[in-house]
Amino acid sequence: MIHIKGFFIIYKYRQIKYTHPQYLPYHPSDLLQYQKLYLIKKQLKLLIIEDEQGLRENITSYLNEDGNICEGCGNCTDAIDKLAAYNYDCVLLDIGLPDGEGFAILEYLKNTRKNETVLIITARNSLDDKIKGLYMGADDYLTKPFHLAELKARIAAIYRRQNANSNNNLIFNEIIIDLNGRTVSVNHTPIILTRKEYDMLLYFIANKSKVISKSAIAEHLWGDEMDMHDNFDFIYTHIKNLRKKLIDANCKDYIKSVYGIGYKFADA
Amino acid sequence: MKLAGHYNKASIIVSVSVLITGAIIYFFVINYIARRQFDSDLSEEVSEVLAYINYRHHLPTRTDFDEDEATFVKTGLKKMDTYFFDTVYYNTKQKRIEDRRAVKGLLRYNNQNYLFTISVSKESTEYLIQIITLITLALMTLLLIILFITNRYILNDLWKPFYYTLNKIKLFNISDDSELQFQTNKVDEFREMNSAVAEMSIRAKTDFHNLKSFTENASHEMLTPLAVITAKLDTLIQDERLNAEQLTHINDIYASINKSTRLNQSLLLLVKIDNSLIKDDEVFNLQEAVNEKIQQFQELMQSKNISVTTHLQDRVITASKYLTDILLNNLFSNAVRHNNINGQLHIILSSSQFIIKNTGDITPLDNNSVFDRFLKGKNSQGTGLGLTLVKSICLYYKFNITYSFKNSMHAFIIDLPVATTNN
Repeated sequence: MIHIKGFFIIYKYRQIKYTHPQYLPYHPSDLLQYQKLYLIKKQLKLLIIEDEQGLRENITSYLNEDGNICEGCGNCTDAIDKLAAYNYDCVLLDIGLPDGEGFAILEYLKNTRKNETVLIITARNSLDDKIKGLYMGADDYLTKPFHLAELKARIAAIYRRQNANSNNNLIFNEIIIDLNGRTVSVNHTPIILTRKEYDMLLYFIANKSKVISKSAIAEHLWGDEMDMHDNFDFIYTHIKNLRKKLIDANCKDYIKSVYGIGYKFADA
Repeated sequence: MKLAGHYNKASIIVSVSVLITGAIIYFFVINYIARRQFDSDLSEEVSEVLAYINYRHHLPTRTDFDEDEATFVKTGLKKMDTYFFDTVYYNTKQKRIEDRRAVKGLLRYNNQNYLFTISVSKESTEYLIQIITLITLALMTLLLIILFITNRYILNDLWKPFYYTLNKIKLFNISDDSELQFQTNKVDEFREMNSAVAEMSIRAKTDFHNLKSFTENASHEMLTPLAVITAKLDTLIQDERLNAEQLTHINDIYASINKSTRLNQSLLLLVKIDNSLIKDDEVFNLQEAVNEKIQQFQELMQSKNISVTTHLQDRVITASKYLTDILLNNLFSNAVRHNNINGQLHIILSSSQFIIKNTGDITPLDNNSVFDRFLKGKNSQGTGLGLTLVKSICLYYKFNITYSFKNSMHAFIIDLPVATTNN
């Protein structure tokens, strides 16, 4: 009995701990957002269709660290077998595969009415391919070479877009980002960010606890067409401003500079 | 000169020279024959005179000769060869000088040597030669006219299939899928040429398609390893044991990857533009695109404290937005990258021109080579393809682009074509 009672007490205690407002990182009124957060933070199941093994492994390890489940395969046949057997949240698709064009997989998904999110990763920077891919049901298009941070941000964005409803908030500790209104508040105090700062914050949160190189940040914010890899000074200005605004709103200093390479957005 | 012209020239020169040579030979031959005829006539005359003397035993009088002239003069000469010669004679009856053929020789009569000269008029022969010359000239003129007309009309007609084929070749578009079609032809040479051209066009098209897929494959093959390197580096920098120096090296590798990616993409784009593979023209306002680009380069310009002055008008153009974006990107990158700290940038868009002017190096660039591939400034970190791309895009849309250096400003001027009215 004592054992049972003890267990009950522990159980009760846990219940209290996990439901009492003081243990929640959010205000009770944010309960809806909490549920939303749960949705966003849930594990993603991904299928990586890429014939280059080295690249596939790196993508897998980079994305897995967040608790996502990644599976990989290197040709069309294996990919269709896997897609027939399992459901995935997101499919990363290389167009140039050894046994055919990746468009066949898009066709397959369309025909079988599967609604996997598809992100095309390809070396072909051809407008025709891009339009064809998007027309055939792909959600986004990423040209090789790309930064893993960029890939992760794109996946997060597609996923958010897919699961968006009227109340679409992204929460990271004391930072709440209203994705529909594009506004940010820290400790329920709204802060005003420029478009670049807002994009940068989203990018950081998508790649939290990861070191992000300056060239990846520059490419994300200014696009890869802008030729300026010899000058990253102005990134620093934007980061400095973002950090100042967050700290001014009593936010913890999450942005850490990693000397020589870039930045890291980390909790600890 | 056209082929027919060359042919005309040659044939006329040849026929005229043959005719002239022929006429000259003809003239001499007729002269020769006529002289021989005269000479034999004169010989006959001489023998007649001798026979006359032998029969009548006195010298013939003037009336014994019809038209011919004969003189007999006593001479002390003992011996002399008889000879024929040309001479002139004043005809007292007709009061004009006429050419004559004469014979001179010795004859013996009454133990006295006489020098005789008998001459005949050449007038009739000269008349003949004149007629022959006239006929020859008339023939020559007629021949030339006929030759000219033949060459002009018949040759032109004969060459028609050639011009037809030539026109087809001129209009040949390598990226077109349709095959060259030729008319059937009776002339062996043209038939052969048409089949050779048709074969060549097929070969060129196959090569072109191969090249196209080669460039695509090359892009894939070159970019995939770069993607692997980037992914590996992205993973590597997560390692907390790396020190700052190592990270700086990695950063340099990132920059190199970026550069080779850009280089690769620029080269592929150049090939695409040169082969007219980009066909997504739409009508849009260039001013909006320029404004957007200025917005995009804001930070970059602020970091160098460049002051921008703009003078923009609405200007609707028909072009690919993608290519226009690349064009503006390269011009802006160029103007910002090579600008001085606290420099200036002027952007002017009128209905006829787009001008981008910037301060920078005080020496002007070489006007002839500024758009050449892989030509870059001493301190440039670019790929050396930026302005080449700009030039290619301008050529593609038949915009004329020029570089000028005035008041220590480098200027790129694009002449926009005459505005198309927008319905």
